[in-house]
Amino acid sequence: MSNYLDLSIKEINKKLINKEIKPLDLVMECFNRIEENKEYNTFITLDKENAIKKAKELENKEVDNLLFGIPIAIKDNIITKNLKTTCASKILSNFIPTYDATVIKKIKEKNMIIIGKLNMDEFAMGSTNETSYYGNVLNSYDKERVSGGSSGGSAVAVSRGIVPFSLGSDTGGSIRQPAAFNGVVGLKPTYGRISRYGLVAFASSLDQIGPFSRNVYENALLLNILCGKDEKDLTSSDTNEDFTRLIGEKIDGMKIAVPNFYMSDVVNKEIKNNIENIIELLKDNNVKVEYVDIDYVEYAVPLYQIIALAEASSNLARFDGVRYGYQTDKEVSSIDEMYKYTRKEGFGEEVKRRMMIGSYVLSGKNAKTYYYKALKIRKKISDSFQKLFEEYDLVIGPTTTDFAGKFNEGINDATKSFNDDLFTIPVNMAGLPGMSIKIGEGKNKLPIGLQIIGNKFDEAKMYKLASFIEKEVGGKIC
Amino acid sequence: MLKPTIGIEVHCELKTNSKAFSPSKNTYGEVPNKMINEIDLGYPGTLPTLNKALLDLGIKTALVLHCDITKEIFFDRKNYFYPDIPKNFQITQNNTPIGRNGYIEVQYDGIKKNIEIEEIHMEEDTCKSIHENNHTLLNFNRAGIPLIEIVTKPVISNEKEAVLYLENLREILLYSNISDVKIEEGSMRCDLNISLSETDELGTKVEIKNIGSISAVAQSILYEIKRQTKLIEEGIKISEETRRWDDKTSTTILMRKKETGNDYRYFPEPDIPKIIIDDEWIKCIKKTIPMLPNELKEKYKKLGINDVTIKSLIQNMDLNILLNELIEENVNPVLCANILTADILSYMNKRYMKFNELNVTKENIKDIVDKLDKNEISSKIAKEIISELLENKGNVQDIINKKGLKQISDSNDLLNIINNVINNNIKAVEDYKNGLDRSIKFLMGQVMKETKGQANPKITNDLLIKELENRKNNNL
Repeated sequence: MSNYLDLSIKEINKKLINKEIKPLDLVMECFNRIEENKEYNTFITLDKENAIKKAKELENKEVDNLLFGIPIAIKDNIITKNLKTTCASKILSNFIPTYDATVIKKIKEKNMIIIGKLNMDEFAMGSTNETSYYGNVLNSYDKERVSGGSSGGSAVAVSRGIVPFSLGSDTGGSIRQPAAFNGVVGLKPTYGRISRYGLVAFASSLDQIGPFSRNVYENALLLNILCGKDEKDLTSSDTNEDFTRLIGEKIDGMKIAVPNFYMSDVVNKEIKNNIENIIELLKDNNVKVEYVDIDYVEYAVPLYQIIALAEASSNLARFDGVRYGYQTDKEVSSIDEMYKYTRKEGFGEEVKRRMMIGSYVLSGKNAKTYYYKALKIRKKISDSFQKLFEEYDLVIGPTTTDFAGKFNEGINDATKSFNDDLFTIPVNMAGLPGMSIKIGEGKNKLPIGLQIIGNKFDEAKMYKLASFIEKEVGGKIC
Repeated sequence: MLKPTIGIEVHCELKTNSKAFSPSKNTYGEVPNKMINEIDLGYPGTLPTLNKALLDLGIKTALVLHCDITKEIFFDRKNYFYPDIPKNFQITQNNTPIGRNGYIEVQYDGIKKNIEIEEIHMEEDTCKSIHENNHTLLNFNRAGIPLIEIVTKPVISNEKEAVLYLENLREILLYSNISDVKIEEGSMRCDLNISLSETDELGTKVEIKNIGSISAVAQSILYEIKRQTKLIEEGIKISEETRRWDDKTSTTILMRKKETGNDYRYFPEPDIPKIIIDDEWIKCIKKTIPMLPNELKEKYKKLGINDVTIKSLIQNMDLNILLNELIEENVNPVLCANILTADILSYMNKRYMKFNELNVTKENIKDIVDKLDKNEISSKIAKEIISELLENKGNVQDIINKKGLKQISDSNDLLNIINNVINNNIKAVEDYKNGLDRSIKFLMGQVMKETKGQANPKITNDLLIKELENRKNNNL
């Protein structure tokens, strides 16, 4: 079997144009690799028949863009027309959508080929992929360890070389953390950069769809086609730019901040050392790097628990067995009983726990004590970052406090999963773009992720720095 | 003395083309579950859009009800589980209602009172549930239709005020093109809160939901006052509860006791960003507000139209628009108003027709009124022409010519007829000589009878008096 999927997108594109290969070759390679990597449990639903059909259709079409004919896999909380979309939950285990998410439309317009739907934490709630109704995803570097989450399948599918691209979603770190744990590039764009229409909502004011890729340049390529104002999403922004445009430019003169909060003793020593090495590397290249304090950033996790879970409790109310999805088989005597059993049987433990907390913080007087207060502090975090970006181009730090853990380590500790996202959550709170790139491996051979945080709509600048570092530390392919 | 205190909540469907938060059409009476999309069904992944017409009409309502407009607004989610609410939350306004502190003036028995409005807010309608035997059918065509909710302060003292408030509100919303306000189609729905107390402190509140007509509002108020008074006098404590008006038995029926504080877990809708309403926007909306019933009444009064005619005019917006257009074209307003209310309106009411469905055109009306005004035709002939037009369409002049309805204005012709009439009614002439003026009227009537109403009334009158005086003076 050939290994065209290991080539760079530019190389694949050249071969497609020269008719050395056909889209079908790439699709067949994908499905071979899925078979080889079956135990990683990255996919919930495969769309082999349609992928092959699409690949054959493309044989008669002109190769008109870099992503033409390139396979991609989609996190299973992004709505795909006629293709089962489960959110890794029993309650949607039979749900076949009638429409396409805006990002799916965009992907189809560019003639990318959707291979299937990726495993994830149930309704994106979790950071280990252990809450999926469809089972764990194994870490790409160590099968004993968790993939991270909630976009575990998205990270591992790219890391295992099954697909060059995948889509994930990030509410508190769900793209960046699994990207770090599996050594791939994952971007959570600025809130509003990509339409959320068709992303099954977890926490509407925090959710963003984002691209996973093998390298920085290709990540920017995919973002190019995903972004833009969508009249179906009132929170989307009108942006149109080439995110690859600054890649390769000199970085000297850049000003970079490292928050003290991100370099405290909670961080694994080896990870910290790797970050410090990057700081030295940057300084050697005439980049000004300074340690700073960010006010209120330490409150981000409790704020997340209030805001994200409150919104989730409302967003997930629609799964009631009336119009779609799972409905209880039990004999019921009232609509309330039907709701009760459907939701009891349809949702997993973590999702129920989070909806309970979310309902509690909005209930009666609690709304003032918790929810509205949290909104105020959230604004302050956002302001702190804004102030920082008046002086600095970018912020860097570790993506995670530690390496990917072993299975079952945190599943019974309700707060641990939130602390995994200690460094990623502030970015969502402030609506900023954040990405994770691999900067090395620990002695345990597990990857280490560097997080780059930019000002709103400053992704191009982030790609510039990321690409420089990637080259210096010897990234895979460019 | 037990004194009732009443507050009214009105929900009105707004007259927009599409739904509040989705591009589906805003319709009534279509095939069930046809005017829907994924958003209306609350499908996973869908997001609300925002219909600008909803905001425009929200602002307009605030303006016509004299409210303070909230300049920075957002929407909230009201969370509760019920099958008629597809997302299991309703998008509404809890924190920042579009308008606050408005009023509607009512007048009765010499009393003039402003019924104060606490707030008005925008929200989406639920879907329609139809309960049948052991199951419920859902029609999502209504889900997401834009609503405005208008909430009074607890300031209404009796059923008269309530009815006048609702009638005025209905007229205002209709005239300003905000809502169709068709209670029978559910585009206007009323809920009442009523409590009785001997002191200024309010008594226990009882809610009456979904009352189907304005007259039922009056009936349910009177019934509740009687019911609650009896209980209080018997020493029974009124409990906070929700009741409904039952047309068949003309009573209110208990629906549910109020549980301790409904918890709707309100929070700002994160999918719809804040909206800033600036003065420019408000100014634009102001320009779209036509003359409202109160102003129209004033205007008509000044033009000399009588109260009875004004009252029946106001009840039909189409005729008002027509009358105002004709007044612009300098027709005689009093004659025009009379024709519209007497001949046209009764015809329309009998057949449940709108003006634009009639055979009579605006041009016809103008012609008839002008001819009346110039005494070219009598009012009797005018009636005849109108009924001919209503049946068969046509041109006023053609009908006059064809039917020989032209007025007789020739003095010689008229004098001949007058003399005939006088000679045949010697008694009336004698009465006149003895000073009985009303015999002129009698003789005029005889002339009209003789000419089938075609005699020019003014000329006839003059000639008749002249001839009578002549006979009196010459003692003929």
